[in-house]
Amino acid sequence: MCGTSTSKQYDDTEPAQAPMSRHMGIDRPAPGSGIKVNFQDSKGNLLKTVEANEGDDILAIAHEYDIDLEGACEGSVACSTCHVILPPEYYDLLPEPEDDENDMLDMAFGLTDTSRLGCQVKLTKEMDGMDVRLPAATRNMFVDGKKASH
Amino acid sequence: MKLAIIGGGPSAFYVASRIFQLLPAAKPSSPSLRIHLFDRLWAPHGLVRYGVAPDHPEVKNCTHKFDAAALDPRLRFFGNVNVGDPANPIPHAINLPLSSIFKNYTHILFSTGCTLPTLHPALPPSTYCIPALSLVHWYTQHPTNPPPPPLENVSHVSLIGNGNVSLDVARMLLTNPDVLSKYDVPQHVIDHLSRSNVKHVSIIGRRGPLEAAFTTKELREMINLPEASMIPLDLDSMVPVSKDSLTRQQSRVLQLLAKGSAKPYGTTSKTWSLDFLRSPVGLAPPSATSQAQLKLAHTKVDAKTSRAVPTGETSVFSTDLVTTSLGFRSPPSSLFSSEDLGHLRTISGRLVSSSGHVLQNAYASGWASTGAKGVLASTMIDAYAVADTILTDLMPKDEPVKTTPASPTREQGVADDDVAEIVMNPNPHPEDPPEEIKEALKEGMVTTYSDWKKVDEEEVRRGEVLGKERERMGWEEAREFLTKTKPRT
Ligand SMILES: Cc1cc2nc3c(=O)[nH]c(=O)nc-3n(C[C@H](O)[C@H](O)[C@H](O)COP(=O)(O)OP(=O)(O)OC[C@H]3O[C@@H](n4cnc5c(N)ncnc54)[C@H](O)[C@@H]3O)c2cc1C
Ligand SMILES: NC(=O)c1ccc[n+]([C@@H]2O[C@H](COP(=O)([O-])OP(=O)(O)OC[C@H]3O[C@@H](n4cnc5c(N)ncnc54)[C@H](OP(=O)(O)O)[C@@H]3O)[C@@H](O)[C@H]2O)c1
Ligand code: FES
Repeated sequence: MCGTSTSKQYDDTEPAQAPMSRHMGIDRPAPGSGIKVNFQDSKGNLLKTVEANEGDDILAIAHEYDIDLEGACEGSVACSTCHVILPPEYYDLLPEPEDDENDMLDMAFGLTDTSRLGCQVKLTKEMDGMDVRLPAATRNMFVDGKKASH
Repeated sequence: MKLAIIGGGPSAFYVASRIFQLLPAAKPSSPSLRIHLFDRLWAPHGLVRYGVAPDHPEVKNCTHKFDAAALDPRLRFFGNVNVGDPANPIPHAINLPLSSIFKNYTHILFSTGCTLPTLHPALPPSTYCIPALSLVHWYTQHPTNPPPPPLENVSHVSLIGNGNVSLDVARMLLTNPDVLSKYDVPQHVIDHLSRSNVKHVSIIGRRGPLEAAFTTKELREMINLPEASMIPLDLDSMVPVSKDSLTRQQSRVLQLLAKGSAKPYGTTSKTWSLDFLRSPVGLAPPSATSQAQLKLAHTKVDAKTSRAVPTGETSVFSTDLVTTSLGFRSPPSSLFSSEDLGHLRTISGRLVSSSGHVLQNAYASGWASTGAKGVLASTMIDAYAVADTILTDLMPKDEPVKTTPASPTREQGVADDDVAEIVMNPNPHPEDPPEEIKEALKEGMVTTYSDWKKVDEEEVRRGEVLGKERERMGWEEAREFLTKTKPRT
């Protein structure tokens, strides 16, 4: 068989092929030349300091460097799984979130006053050295941002 | 571990994906691992394919992650296989008894979702009262194949419940079919919608604007509908004067409601309304001379319990079609289902027997475990937590896996009927699915993930020809297509 169909990869009899992570199409800058971003876990412990270019968004950067930040809708502002928490001084550097981003943030778990959707935050030079904290994952279900149900 | 997952929706795929991430195939310390997913639908992805509204194509991007999980050679998908549900609603799905799963797997995970619509005692289904799920199944071409709603003869629609599903249905009814036709909407649905006479959609909620079940984004979509306008609301009579204790979402919803629809009321041929503080109490059938009569009790929200309580007043709506959108539940017939909870009994993702025992090597995730609450983001977080639980139970204690912090318990239901406890097989065949599945695979009655990907590509190709996202296939068509493309052996 000539393998014209990409479907073949899914056959369980094929040799092992590691699942690919989505390529969000960003390039790593030469070490020392990029904008530094410090990814932190929910408790503020440093996970990794990485370098990226002006204009790259935080979700794409996280994916490039294997940081555990989801992006279920791939940056379409339709899922809130890319929620991150920024330090106030950096949050203030950013343009206000648009309505659609705020609508999704309404549903984000562990929302803070300086929460943003990672897919909507684009790096600028002023953000060099910024801490980006991931929210705490929890099994206490957050449901549509509401508390009391009937 | 040889894990059988019942259900192939987002929860199943997120659990599998997380397990693969935590136990990479290439790492020598990873234990031997096989995950087999069974779904009674021939196509994978549960409500992402057969629920998410067609005009939300971005939401479906999550399937790329599911495709990536399916690329791991340790995963196999078996579609068109109904496992253990005696009331199998899919006529062509083959039935696999749970005993077969117990015999062939070391572990089991129920990710079966909540597949039945919640009904209202005062509103039994009829030709003029249809559960929202039937409409959703109609416009997604679900294998249960419900008849189209009688839209040609309908001018006024009453949706009961104001959750996001209700708003999905409202948008489908109020959006121009020409707009919908570029999305993943089957051609026969577009044709039917083109003949619709719907003029007004009333969305009825038993509580007030602050307790509305819809989310801000979905309300904004309604507000911005290009061809329909909302009847202005008298918010002051419904909301307390002091806005101090409102959540961020509540204040944003109120602002939107106060602003009203983008198209002013009166300027469009189609209209919609949010009718708060009304709870249905009865429905008189239509007659030759009159529309159906929907009787609504007026309610107020109890400040302490935030429940709807009747004020004693009632009113009657003349309407042509009532659609109930009250949520979903798991079939009461399924093992470990609690009638009261409307879903399976679990503690931290572990299945619990009716007598309250935590079962070994048996788990539940997603809507099957939490009830029909929450969007994909919450389903994903739950799935990751359940994956962590499964691996914590599996791994030797000196080799801890990274786990998500979890609260110790989820709700535990009590039921008085006794269910036999699950006994899994510690030494099943290391690779193979049950015999019945091997046979059915040969007969072309079971779909694999690679079958699905072929259909998926073809649906997108057919869609391109028509200038739309995709044109769906049904089971018969998919089966025929797959038979044609299968290499002869
Ligand atoms: C109409 C609708 C629209 C939605 N739209 C959105 C949206 O736009 N955005 C969003 O974030 N969330 C949306 N959601 C919520 C989202 O779909 C859920 O969070 C998610 O699908 C739950 O995943 P699950 O895997 O638990 O259940 P499901 O998706 O229901 O999957 C369960 C699977 O199990 C299978 N199954 C059940 N019983 C058996 C059996 N006995 N044997 C074999 N297979 C079985 C079913 O066929 C199904 O494929 C929507 C929900 C609905 C109902
Ligand atoms: N676009 C999206 O993101 C999207 C789309 C669809 C679904 N979803 C998610 O899927 C989940 C399920 O959605 P859903 O709309 O089916 O359910 P839901 O959000 O739970 O809404 C159910 C509605 O039915 C009402 N209701 C229930 N029982 C009733 C009764 N006996 N009498 C009168 N009213 C009654 C509820 O009112 P009370 O509040 O008073 O109980 C509520 O308004 C939600 O979490 C939703 O966000 C998301
Ligand atoms: S990736 Fe979905 S909102 Fe950012």
